[in-house]
Amino acid sequence: MIEARNLHKRFDEQPVLDGISFRIENGESVAIIGRSGCGKSVLLKHLIGLLKPDAGDVLIDGENIVPMDERQLLNVRRKFGMVFQGAALFDSMTVEENVAFALRRNTRLPEAEIARRVAKILAVVDLSGTENKSPAELSGGMRKRVGLARAIVYEPQIVLYDEPTTGLDPIVADSIDKLIMRVHGRLKVTTVVVTHDMRTARRVSQRVLMMHDSKIYASGTPDEFFASQDPVVRQFVDGVADAEKN
Amino acid sequence: MIFSANKRVTESLAGLGEISLLAKEALLSLSTLKVKWNDLLYQIYFIGVKSQTVVLITGAFTGMVLGAQTYFQFHKVKMDTVTLAVVGVSMCDELGPVLTALMVAGRVGAAIAAEIGTMRVTEQIDALRTLATHPVDYLVVPRILAGFIALPLLTMESICLGIGASYFVNVHLLGIDATYSWFNMLRYTHDIDVVIGLTKAFIYGGILTLIGCYKGMTCGMGAEGVGRATTEAVVYSSITILITNFFLTLTLGKIASLL
Repeated sequence: MIEARNLHKRFDEQPVLDGISFRIENGESVAIIGRSGCGKSVLLKHLIGLLKPDAGDVLIDGENIVPMDERQLLNVRRKFGMVFQGAALFDSMTVEENVAFALRRNTRLPEAEIARRVAKILAVVDLSGTENKSPAELSGGMRKRVGLARAIVYEPQIVLYDEPTTGLDPIVADSIDKLIMRVHGRLKVTTVVVTHDMRTARRVSQRVLMMHDSKIYASGTPDEFFASQDPVVRQFVDGVADAEKN
Repeated sequence: MIFSANKRVTESLAGLGEISLLAKEALLSLSTLKVKWNDLLYQIYFIGVKSQTVVLITGAFTGMVLGAQTYFQFHKVKMDTVTLAVVGVSMCDELGPVLTALMVAGRVGAAIAAEIGTMRVTEQIDALRTLATHPVDYLVVPRILAGFIALPLLTMESICLGIGASYFVNVHLLGIDATYSWFNMLRYTHDIDVVIGLTKAFIYGGILTLIGCYKGMTCGMGAEGVGRATTEAVVYSSITILITNFFLTLTLGKIASLL
């Protein structure tokens, strides 16, 4: 269970999070939507302790992670997998080394077992046979899928996705959406997807949280969002530059 | 203007605080033996083996120039045969460790800052953290340890080659008596000179890798941030090595005189 309580964060006097509170239950799939630069990724990084709030609490399974130092956070982060917007693959390593990274560093599994798990997870993300490629040889969609494989290979309880379909063509974006749903269904993980792509939000989430003016502006099911008559929600869903002129 | 100066002083003090905290975290990590041998061996290879060419060329030509220049002065007072002794003491105490550290700071300090800085701007360091890996354990500690190990070895090579190159120039090009040269070099260059040189190299190995790691870990965003971090890593490492050398020379010299 993830709970954010009254989170506040400023960068150079600019408020990015202004009293954000919400709760995500185990096994739930939630999309956080909002315009570019509204603070969605900042919020996501607070959930895994990559950023500390100026005020407020983040509770993971009832444990407040805000007062923890970096070493204490390492244990909490074993519950998480995170897929970054730009994949953030280690460019000095092959695909296999990227995916096996956490297994080699944090477990004592024999090499044969690591190789078996890597092959299995690469098959899940439809990338069998790419073990020896370097990240530079992969397309954007493939990099995202390797990033996802790396995030789920150690079977975390929670998977965070930061703009998983940004910069991808609609067909690749669709395959990533399906992959997110497949991982959610197979591993029974809690899924949090930050996106500004309404199609992705609708497909992968059971609940949507919308950020606007550094706050959670609206919350509901994807269908409720698409049916909403609220002008701010409507403008975002329709993708209109200026709602009043239309 | 006063505001600007005040800001710079504040930033400098903040930087000193941050690098101290990084050093403390690295020491903590070292004490818990979280470093992986493979990471350490790779860094020793990168810092030690791959720096040999530049260090050996620097050592050899420094020894040759020092040998020739000392000969030109000493020849005037008929003290040709102590030329190699001056070269031996200078290479061991000062030129070997300092020039090796400056050359390695240029090559390795810059590379460390650029590599870690690029990892920072492409979120690879955040990715490490999400994979339950402390960036200090994985990125900083192996590099600092490798610096501690590689710098004394490189310095030893530089000293040996510098003295050897100077011997060649003095004996074969300038015609100084080989036996007296070698005898005087052994007579005036003591074990303590070698110990002082290697102690300095050990400390410089820690300084240049720590500053390189710090600059990479705190670099600004984008290509400009990485570029600036790289430049600052070399400049700050070099300045710190030169200033530290003065204090180490005084301190170690005092200790040596008491032994």
